[in-house]
Amino acid sequence: MSAVTQLDKKEELPFYEPQGDEIELFMHAYEHKLPVLIKGPTGCGKTRFISHMAEKLNLPLYTVACHDDLSASDLVGRHLIGDGATVWSDGPLTRAVREGGICYLDEVVEARKDTTVVIHPLTDDRRILPIDRTGEILHAPDNFMLVVSYNPGYQNLLKGMKPSTRQRFLSMSFDYLPAPAEVEVLINETNVDKAMAQRLVVLANTLRELKDQDLEEGASTRLLVYTATLINTGFDPVKACRAGMIEPLTDDPDIVAGLMELVQAAFGSAEA
Amino acid sequence: MEEQVGQIWDRLITRVAKQGYAKAAVTLDQVKGPLGVFFRALGGDSALRVTATTATLHKARRNWLQRVAGSGRKVELAWQDETCLYLPAQLDVFPDRQLNRDLYFWLAAMAGARVPAEVHQSRNWIVDNQQRTLHTLRQFQGLHPRYLSLVQAYIALRPEPERLKPEAAAMEQAIQQALIQPGSVTALPEARFAPDPVALWLHPDPPRSAGLLNSDDAQDRNASKGQTRQTQQRRRQAERVEKPEEQGFTMGVRHEADLFSFAEFSKMDRATDEEDNLDQAENIANDIDKMSVAQDNTTVASRIKFDLDLPSEQEDDIPLSEGVLYPEWDFKKDQLLPNQCRIIPMMSRNAVDCELPDHLQKPARRLRRQFESLSARPQWIRGQYEGDKLDLDAYLDYRGAIASSGSAHAGDPRLYYQKRPLIRDMACLLLADLSLSTDAWVNDTSQVIDVIRDSVHLFAESLHASGDQFAIHGFSSRRREHVRFNCIKDFNENYDARVRGRIADISPGFYTRMGAAIRHATDLLGKQPAQKKLLLLLTDGKPNDLDRYEGRYGVEDTRKAILEARNQGLIPFCITIDEEANQYLPYLFGHQGYTFIRQAEQLPKRLPQLYMTLTGKLLGG
Repeated sequence: MSAVTQLDKKEELPFYEPQGDEIELFMHAYEHKLPVLIKGPTGCGKTRFISHMAEKLNLPLYTVACHDDLSASDLVGRHLIGDGATVWSDGPLTRAVREGGICYLDEVVEARKDTTVVIHPLTDDRRILPIDRTGEILHAPDNFMLVVSYNPGYQNLLKGMKPSTRQRFLSMSFDYLPAPAEVEVLINETNVDKAMAQRLVVLANTLRELKDQDLEEGASTRLLVYTATLINTGFDPVKACRAGMIEPLTDDPDIVAGLMELVQAAFGSAEA
Repeated sequence: MEEQVGQIWDRLITRVAKQGYAKAAVTLDQVKGPLGVFFRALGGDSALRVTATTATLHKARRNWLQRVAGSGRKVELAWQDETCLYLPAQLDVFPDRQLNRDLYFWLAAMAGARVPAEVHQSRNWIVDNQQRTLHTLRQFQGLHPRYLSLVQAYIALRPEPERLKPEAAAMEQAIQQALIQPGSVTALPEARFAPDPVALWLHPDPPRSAGLLNSDDAQDRNASKGQTRQTQQRRRQAERVEKPEEQGFTMGVRHEADLFSFAEFSKMDRATDEEDNLDQAENIANDIDKMSVAQDNTTVASRIKFDLDLPSEQEDDIPLSEGVLYPEWDFKKDQLLPNQCRIIPMMSRNAVDCELPDHLQKPARRLRRQFESLSARPQWIRGQYEGDKLDLDAYLDYRGAIASSGSAHAGDPRLYYQKRPLIRDMACLLLADLSLSTDAWVNDTSQVIDVIRDSVHLFAESLHASGDQFAIHGFSSRRREHVRFNCIKDFNENYDARVRGRIADISPGFYTRMGAAIRHATDLLGKQPAQKKLLLLLTDGKPNDLDRYEGRYGVEDTRKAILEARNQGLIPFCITIDEEANQYLPYLFGHQGYTFIRQAEQLPKRLPQLYMTLTGKLLGG
């Protein structure tokens, strides 16, 4: 089954540092009932952005983490066999359409191809969800919104998004934040001091430059937050970087050694 | 005469050189991997590979007096040009191992750190190095303690100014001052002699330093004084032809000398060689030969031979067409030059139909069995919530569970079979490097080309069994107008005795113009209807050819060709037996895009296995 989470309402908005005009764009999209596609590398804040917006718009959020076995009926729902009868059980997408809210399909390109069948009628002006099995046709309420995301960086060649699907969404592109903004995020998330946050961000940006050659992917903001959390609780910065930013990126011992020299160069004041 | 003196001199400097701390020595090979990553991470040019600096031949000639005078220990200094970062093959400057290791990383940092444009290489050695030190330290504050301990240890090893003659003392004082307080010395005091080399700094006059950091500007300069430069170059080449027997020896001596030469190095720019002149080819070949010797010590030297003649038309393979023109990427101009290379598809003339060689029969049988299981039909998958047919066993279990427990929720409600197509819609093109370097010997009994031949045999057997579509081609080149593309098996050909005959007939020749070959392979593979397309490159070295393709140009063009292939949705993957491969293949194929097979003898068996894991990943992932 797909991982489905419904966030509990919290009192305060999850912290979110805008990269550009995405909040405004999202608000407009919601008002005009337009679906949205978000692309960007791992851990750059896509999911955080959606939960932030769900809070802001006061909508329930249905997140589906797509995987390569996820089929249309995982989204729509299916008959289960009960005691002497079959029982229909709604999938997360159907639930969102029935009750209103944001349905967020994370890494949508991972899902099986038949999911496009249910996505397409929801993303044009019909805004309907036909359920073949039960013969129902659900009309999405005004407060329903479909959001999908994908990471163009990896596996894109084998699992690219079809243009016919892509052209049904307003699209926004996310990237890692510019350095000053990312520093702010770190401070906000972990209370780490500013100088340390700056050094971490410089290190992360250095790592991001190694993408595609030595590393498969650069260090995400999420990893930065983890690292800063360790450091802030008194963990040795060099060791924290190793655990938080170097080891998660590669398994190659030579690359780890080389990057640790880099960490030493950036943080190594402790040992000479 | 020169030779005799040189020998004495050589013995002398060798003895002096032993003042290093051999026990604490760190070799470049020990730190090469991490060092490369570190260098790139600090901002070093990612196309460069890290290699040992040894004698380089393209040096200005200095008179004998200067050579003797420019004394000092045999120290190799760090420098970079547009293809490599050169570092000493071994560092034993300090009695402490850790310090020697630190020195490696310090040198890489110096070379890698981004410096503002005004810090030109080799404008003023002492000022530039101080500026570089300052910039490096500013960017990477963590290096500070390391630098301080290096300087401290290093100054202790340098001559004490008080013991030197006044002239030398002033100079030494300036250098020490510059080390302790980078930025504080604005000029080197005048002296008749060059100072002792400084192990913490970059090469005072890096050979071929133009390019890299200021390639545009270098080009401008070259353009303006092109005439003189060419004359110089010619002179140099003439010189070399005159005394070939001295080369091995003068190499060492000149190296000692040029560490301290601040001037008159004649820069060589292959790009402006008029490459269509065959007469020059031999000289260029000469260059390549020696550069390889210089970079890889002796192993390659025995490998590379130059054979510039094409076989006569009657002997040569049959050209299948006039040729197809392909563009080539010029990284200096940053543009794709149209119609630069002519790919000539060829078909072996002398191939005789044959069966699989005996020694491959057994592994082939085993591989065939393995690969047959890959050609899977649609499968029924049990235990599904829904599906095309009911799984009666599961249903009975389910009813039973309910009946026995009396609860409607007991039992597993996954009662269906589902039919999943597991079709491998896959096309693979194997592109084998047939350049002359494959003529080398792997061990006492077999050559690289034998290994490649066996690999191709087993690969073909395996893929034939798997049912995947595949083609096999080989390539070699002799300059851009003659890139041979040997067809071994086309996509629409059957795998039979004829193909086996062609495999048996492959033979090494010429050079490795990889970019054009990859572009042509991309074209062929791109036309296949399969969903997933794998472009496998089997090679033993990096791109090279007689003209400027050797070095950075070739690497950049190949990289471009690979990117183009990727953009077309192909999956390029490289299999190499070159131990140096990790120096340049990540730049070409990405870190996940290649594999290195240490023992070439294993390649025949490893190649099909690799294909299996690779395609398993492609299809299952």
